[in-house]
Amino acid sequence: MANEDNNNLKSDRFGNGSVDRRTFLGAASAGAVATTLAGCLGGGGSDGLAIGHLAPMSNPLGIGSKRTVDMAVEELNEDGGFNGEEAEVITKDTRTDPSEAQNVTEELIQQEDVDLLIGTFNSETTQSILDLTAEFDVPFMITGSADPGLITEYAGSDYEQYKNVFRIGPINSDFQAESIADYCAHLNDRHGWNRVAFLRDQADWTEPFGDQIPDLLSERDLEVVYQDALSIEGTDFGPVMSDVNESNADFVLRFFAHIDGGDMLTRWHEGQYEFGIEGVHVPGMLPSYNGPSAYNGAATYETTSQSGAAGVAPITDRTQPFVDDYASRYQDADSAPIRAPMYMGFNTYDGVHVFKEVVDSLETTNTRDNLDDFVGEMLDVDFTGVAGQVSFYGEDSDYPHDVREERGEDGTITNYPMTQWVGPEEIECVYPDQHRTADHQMPPWMQ
Amino acid sequence: MLGDIATLVLQGTMISAVYALIAIGFTMIFGVGGTLNLAHGALIMSGAYVFGVLAQSTHPVVAFPVTIGVVALFSWGLYQILVRWVEENVVITFLATVIVAVAATEVILIQFGSSPLGMTLVSGAVNLEPYGINARPRTVQFLGFVISWIAIGLLWYYITKTDDGRSILAASMSERGAQLTGVDLHSVRSKTWLIAGALAGAAGIILGSTGGATPLMWLNPLALAFMIVVIGGIGSIKGSVVAAYVIGFLEQFTVTFVGHGFRGILSLVVLVIFLLFMPQGLYGREFAHD
Repeated sequence: MANEDNNNLKSDRFGNGSVDRRTFLGAASAGAVATTLAGCLGGGGSDGLAIGHLAPMSNPLGIGSKRTVDMAVEELNEDGGFNGEEAEVITKDTRTDPSEAQNVTEELIQQEDVDLLIGTFNSETTQSILDLTAEFDVPFMITGSADPGLITEYAGSDYEQYKNVFRIGPINSDFQAESIADYCAHLNDRHGWNRVAFLRDQADWTEPFGDQIPDLLSERDLEVVYQDALSIEGTDFGPVMSDVNESNADFVLRFFAHIDGGDMLTRWHEGQYEFGIEGVHVPGMLPSYNGPSAYNGAATYETTSQSGAAGVAPITDRTQPFVDDYASRYQDADSAPIRAPMYMGFNTYDGVHVFKEVVDSLETTNTRDNLDDFVGEMLDVDFTGVAGQVSFYGEDSDYPHDVREERGEDGTITNYPMTQWVGPEEIECVYPDQHRTADHQMPPWMQ
Repeated sequence: MLGDIATLVLQGTMISAVYALIAIGFTMIFGVGGTLNLAHGALIMSGAYVFGVLAQSTHPVVAFPVTIGVVALFSWGLYQILVRWVEENVVITFLATVIVAVAATEVILIQFGSSPLGMTLVSGAVNLEPYGINARPRTVQFLGFVISWIAIGLLWYYITKTDDGRSILAASMSERGAQLTGVDLHSVRSKTWLIAGALAGAAGIILGSTGGATPLMWLNPLALAFMIVVIGGIGSIKGSVVAAYVIGFLEQFTVTFVGHGFRGILSLVVLVIFLLFMPQGLYGREFAHD
């Protein structure tokens, strides 16, 4: 996961690369027109339905996502197929590298002639292929990146150009910030925790949190007593813990995806610091993270929010059967994640099911030549998935084609559940009320 | 204020000890053979993984020396199998060791995946708040400090007090002079790689036990080793120890007074100043090159 550390640098390269790509695209699209014409002449569609899956395959998030796309396609092929056709999945490794992602996406679009692209994890990688998918009218379902800019700066500013892009999940960072602020208010109700130390990766994805969290917390009568962005190139947590401790915070609210918080968690347990550790911790979502081969209990009592709640809560009727099926297939696999996929897998699985619904209604799997109809059908989707209800914002909203947040009766967001490690291999869902399997626990040394 | 300074000194001392351990092997190899071993970080990483795997089945007291031995052998093997055949050509050595480092990453990815491998050398922490120091350092950090200074002490004794060690010092001062006095250069270089490997192994164990092992964990230590060696003076062990403490304290100073996101900035500024105005480093004249 440390691999992502270079993303900022590489996103610069993307800036330069996109100029070259436009030149390339001019030539390539002429080729594509010729291919399409040839396809018409030759009868077309004979190649069958192909789904291109994009993910970093050395990352457990990507491995989980690949397994779920395979599961979904296998199930649906057996169950009548996609408008009667059997689909084939082609997975390509993006390596969390924008230029690699562009190469493999071109291959999927031009050589494999895919009818759907699904996946992509870090936002910089996703962003690097949006132009390419738009140019060739390939429906693209994002299942791992939460940056609101992937929607607002693309479909939000040039709808016609980028209408092929949908986000299945997770909810975007703007909604995540709101949901997490509500969670902090819940912690205050439960434990009287109202002093917050706010830490984040010094990276693009945490910018929306940096902008919004302090105000959102102060609206909820919580006080930010310490805040800092930590270098993703290597952080010594000794001084960080000292600073947080000195601020007398009741809990740390941290947003880590590039930084592995293992060092922080070990210091927390061994030093018995009197504050909670809450927020988002992507490495900590790995089902084996707190087990004997990794941090061996050091993560116990930390929380992280994640789509699908790690499969521990019956979010919908489909969640538990899906996780059981995943575990039975992969419990003896060599590579993690084995008990449940990580959040991206939940979203990818739902994406394939949504795709089936749409092509069934569309009565064709030739999505690229019928993009407007495909988009129309997508906007009518209201699908009960394994990570929650899936429906999309329309053209005129702030976030066109972004997955809608779900809200409970009190107006708080419910489809961004929070999980807590309660043992080396045990996780509970502690928020929101609708999905809770156990109450949030304070570490015993704080009681 | 006094408490802040005490905290800064404590944390600076702890991290600097590890930095010294990281840099000394790199310095020695450069001093003796003129070789920039870019696989040094990979050797540190192998120390973390070897210890991580061994510690799952054996007691850390056993796993610790075994790991150091294994990494020393890796390092020695790297010299015998690859580096000795290309060391006369700086550029090829440079490229060959980079390739080893990248290949090591791939091997780790295939074998262990990208998720961190955790390990415990020793558990526990000490709360120093009753003594006015706002820190709860982990026992493993104290141990890292102790190991670092034992290693430095042993190395100093070996290099200055034994004939064997003095031949290493002689070779690093002047290869021609050393040869004229009967020093077997090949054997000196082999020994240097063996010692550098052992130090890298120890550094890997400490790094793995504090932050876990990951396939790209070699990058930061390698960058640190570079900076330390430039500031300390290329080839000087004393310079590396001093520079490790300079860098460690600068980082600590920056995070205490500026912010955690600026951790490495001040050290980079110092590095640039050294490159521009004092390229020989703090102790660069300790060795005469021929």
